Amino acid sequence: MPQPCNVVIFGASGDLTYRKLIPALYNLAADGDLPAALSVVGFARREKSDESFRKELQEAVGKFSRQGLNDELWKSFGERIFYHQSEFGDLEGYKRLAERLNQLDADHNTGGNRLFYLSVAPSEFGGILEKLAAVGLNKAREGAWSRVIVEKPFGTDLPSAQKLNGIVNTVFREKETYRIDHFLGKETAQNIMVLRFANSIFEPLWNHRYIDHIQITAAEPLGVEARGPYYESSGALRDMVQNHLLQLLCLVAMEPPTDLTADSVRDEKVKVVRALRPMSTEDVASNVVRGQYAAGAINGKEVIGYRAEERVSTESMTETYVALKLHVDNWRWADVPFYVRVGKRLPKGGTEIAIQFKNAPGVLFNKDAAAVGPNVLVIRIQPDEGISLRIQAKRPGAAVRVEPVKMDFHYGTSFGKASPEAYERLLLDAMSGDATLFARRDEVEGAWKFIDLIEEAWHQNPTPPALCEYPAGSWGPAEADALLERDGRAWRRM
Amino acid sequence: MPVTIDPTALGMPVELGQISRELKKLWEQDGGVSTRASLINLAVYCEGVESMRANTELIMEFTHEHACRAILIGYEPGSENQIHAWINAHCHLSRAGAKQVCCEQISFLFEGDTKKRIANILFSNLDSDLPLYLLWRGEFHDPVDEQLWAWVDRLIFDSQSWRDPKSQFALLKDSLVRSKSRLTLCDLNWTRSLHLRQALAQMFDHAENLSVLDNLKTVAIAHAPNFRSTALLLVGWFAAQLKLVFVKNEGSAFVYLNPHGNEVLFSLTAEEGRSISRCELTSDTGSIRLQRDGAGDFFRVEVRLTDNRVYNHLLPAGINATATLILEEIGGGGQHKVYLNALAASEVLL
Repeated sequence: MPQPCNVVIFGASGDLTYRKLIPALYNLAADGDLPAALSVVGFARREKSDESFRKELQEAVGKFSRQGLNDELWKSFGERIFYHQSEFGDLEGYKRLAERLNQLDADHNTGGNRLFYLSVAPSEFGGILEKLAAVGLNKAREGAWSRVIVEKPFGTDLPSAQKLNGIVNTVFREKETYRIDHFLGKETAQNIMVLRFANSIFEPLWNHRYIDHIQITAAEPLGVEARGPYYESSGALRDMVQNHLLQLLCLVAMEPPTDLTADSVRDEKVKVVRALRPMSTEDVASNVVRGQYAAGAINGKEVIGYRAEERVSTESMTETYVALKLHVDNWRWADVPFYVRVGKRLPKGGTEIAIQFKNAPGVLFNKDAAAVGPNVLVIRIQPDEGISLRIQAKRPGAAVRVEPVKMDFHYGTSFGKASPEAYERLLLDAMSGDATLFARRDEVEGAWKFIDLIEEAWHQNPTPPALCEYPAGSWGPAEADALLERDGRAWRRM
Repeated sequence: MPVTIDPTALGMPVELGQISRELKKLWEQDGGVSTRASLINLAVYCEGVESMRANTELIMEFTHEHACRAILIGYEPGSENQIHAWINAHCHLSRAGAKQVCCEQISFLFEGDTKKRIANILFSNLDSDLPLYLLWRGEFHDPVDEQLWAWVDRLIFDSQSWRDPKSQFALLKDSLVRSKSRLTLCDLNWTRSLHLRQALAQMFDHAENLSVLDNLKTVAIAHAPNFRSTALLLVGWFAAQLKLVFVKNEGSAFVYLNPHGNEVLFSLTAEEGRSISRCELTSDTGSIRLQRDGAGDFFRVEVRLTDNRVYNHLLPAGINATATLILEEIGGGGQHKVYLNALAASEVLL
């Protein structure tokens, strides 16, 4: 159980607060995982009273909480939520915030512990942190703590990430900084380490001797919705690959840590990031495919192309799909390609990691090895979190006929309990001072260093690789299929 | 499974975007009484609402023997542009115990000009990592959906039901080239003659009977009036396996040359009865006659050699119901090289 604290959310009138943060805190309260002495302060520009803020959040919890809304619980939980109106750049607002937090400490016995959640655009980070420091909120009093959670995007390239890290680290120490990647809060992402290191049957096979290749896919049927301007400046590579997918890759590829403390785990993840083979312009041309969705159909409904989306340039060169072939240059993963793809407006939503093992010799079954088919271990990050293993089995009958079958483990049905939302776990960890599931500065900067080479090949190259078009509702551009076909492989079917 | 769902019907109507969620709910309501099973994705394409009901029954029958996620795709041209969806499940008691084994069926009706959305909807409802078998009921239309073709592992169809097999095969061949598909063609019209071919082949396990093939003079095949294409595929099989070269048509008969340069005459006769009711091979060294009586479940095979020795055998003729043919087809697996050779050899006869 974490210590009592005040949670301050900057950007409290934003979508994340309503859809994720408050429902997550409410669910933690419902499960009895929150300290009784906890208060939440929403910091935002709009004029609002505590009461109206609570009312809006109550509705949001009713809609987005996995546990639904219990009036009695809400009464007690809602009473501990407050609204603080201020401009982000107004020092007076921070002075009032400091006073208010001191008062809450006194009223609710929250012990002077503060968790600041920056749910704002990165351009606001510097100003907010500077003001927090100016009023001394970054420094906890004796025996208490002060921490900051930073939402992605953490920079747009290596220099901007270094600059942001510099700003954050002048105000908060690295161990007080929690860079959130909600993928890491998902139960199955956390289970990757358990699967690998708590089961003796997998780890001996987890290397180049037995694994043919690994595929990591993050697919979603949604388009950019209202996020056109953000997406225009980001694109799929920066929005998803630099953070979520490289984090998953690290968990799959890392060596066993010496223990499960935050720094031991993150040390191993950083080694993977450092081992990513850098890409030259030629490598990018041959190993990376970028695509953009054109008009098509999703779930039977016609949808517009990316360039026709609201507040998106009609000549946009922003990628909504990326497929990459990566290499982790260390002993374990020598010559094992990692194929990573992410895309919008794909037929199905889901994030999955597939470990494809090498084929068993088919000689006993009068077949070549490929005809027998490989074992595939699939780790489903979302939705329907779970794990499946494809094995080959004999079909009943006189003849020896080999067919693939799937052994399936679903978190939902096996444990009879819905997995907590990622934000629940991450907020709880941040309150408890456990940074294992948060990205460290060197991880983030290492990932940017790798991604920047691709961005440069796309945008600072007189002959950049083509941006391939794919119809909405398809599984991406044909060039992405060709990326695997030329290695004699294919994207798995989700 | 909720008993309110009639397994012969299309099931519970659902919104297109909510299928996974509704299926999940369906299993949650079940309370662990049943086991969801799936070995393949079986997509069934048909035209017309009535045909969807008939194919639901076919799926129900099929799932008793082979677990799958069935995706029924109905197309109704000329209506408003709409797509409807239903979910259902087919359950039966497993052989091993008391637990029910259930297979999901998702049905879609594409109306009007919505056919081009079939691939997207199919892709978004596949059971991951399992092969996709597409059962195509009826005729192919130009152009076929190349995106869809590229995803199919086995394309199951029945060339017996086609009005013009020659043009249908040409269309199929052309579309496979265009889509660069490596799917396996599974013709139920070929499966239909499986037991007959097996029975005939067995006769030559005995080395003494091989002389009938070496000196083959005539092959007479009797087929039901609508099953000429079945008989032609059988002729193609003989031609491919015996390396015969087509020479000419002679009325309703076909003349081939064997590798020794001798003529072999194939004659086809339409007779009421089973798809192939008789096949008789004659040579200078003997004859083999295979016959199936109207209601019989077996082939009666008579091998007559020139020294007046006669051997009689009774061999299973199989069941030609569509669900059984599909099960035979799926159970057999393989790339169907023998079929492709037979098809190539019979093209000239179509």
